Amino acid sequence: MLLPPSLHCRRACPLLAGCVRTLYSGRPRALRPLTELLLRRRPPSRLDARFRSRKSQEEEWRNRNRTVLTYIAAAGVGMIGLSYASVPLYRLYCQATGLGGTAVAGHNADQVETMKPVRERVIKVTFNADTHASIQWNFRPQQTEIYVVPGETALAFYRAKNPTDKPIIGISTYNVVPFDAGQYFNKIQCFCFEEQRLNPREEVDMPVFFYIDPEFDDDPRMARVDTITLSYTFFEAKEGQQLPLPGYSHN
Amino acid sequence: MSTAMNFGTKSFRPRAPDKGSFPLDHFGECKSFKENFMTCLRENRFDNSRCRLQSKEYLECRMDNQLMAKEPLDKLGFKDLMDPPPGRQDQDSDAQV
Repeated sequence: MLLPPSLHCRRACPLLAGCVRTLYSGRPRALRPLTELLLRRRPPSRLDARFRSRKSQEEEWRNRNRTVLTYIAAAGVGMIGLSYASVPLYRLYCQATGLGGTAVAGHNADQVETMKPVRERVIKVTFNADTHASIQWNFRPQQTEIYVVPGETALAFYRAKNPTDKPIIGISTYNVVPFDAGQYFNKIQCFCFEEQRLNPREEVDMPVFFYIDPEFDDDPRMARVDTITLSYTFFEAKEGQQLPLPGYSHN
Repeated sequence: MSTAMNFGTKSFRPRAPDKGSFPLDHFGECKSFKENFMTCLRENRFDNSRCRLQSKEYLECRMDNQLMAKEPLDKLGFKDLMDPPPGRQDQDSDAQV
């Protein structure tokens, strides 16, 4: 498609015409339009001034500048809009494909009632307890490991003691290793993400009630996983501080 | 580990527990049930499947002492340990774990 070098086309879309002409720059027919384009870009010589008035040339330049500016402004606005839209789009993409560790569309809380334990697959769950340097609690698990099967609810205990003379409020978070197995590790009830207050010299038992999703056995990526480690970390919470629940867990 | 700038690797996202948080047992009302459970675990080499009765009793104690929201036990996965309804007792008694 070679644009005929008509005046109409040249005024309306000078950029496009120039692009098309440079595309066909290999052919002898287009050499003349290419040189015309190159000639046009030079400052007006005495030769040009004879055929065109200065005013129309300036007008042409102004049109071309306006077109280029419009394109650039549109691209800029498009980029800004795309950066705002990328947050929900990325979230949708992550939920659809399950990348980035997010739970795929959340898990069904009613399945606890109907799930059947997978007896052949025994998994060892080890427990780890950590405290942040600033909190003075003694926090440790009451059992180092427990053997569970997917689809069966299990109970485990941690113990925390406040050896100081002042009440201390702690708040905890947890971590599951390996990360991929973390999406199958469902806690029904535990002691995390809410402030827990321990009075001076008080010692309490903290239970964790959890189960491993029976679909764990069907996942080929989990075929070699035999040990899951649950690790809790306690931090000190200040009075009245409200920590948000993690992630996009709006289930 | 979750703060490392590894864009390719998956990171762990903690999830809130389904039924929220256990209130702390400040007065040790269910401590005996917990001790039962821990003893059972130690005797059975930490096999959870053998100590489900004790864990059910611990959770029942918590529910009785206002330390846990009351829920029917089959919603907590203890359907097989619950007493079968009368009339079907001889069918279910040998199906128990």
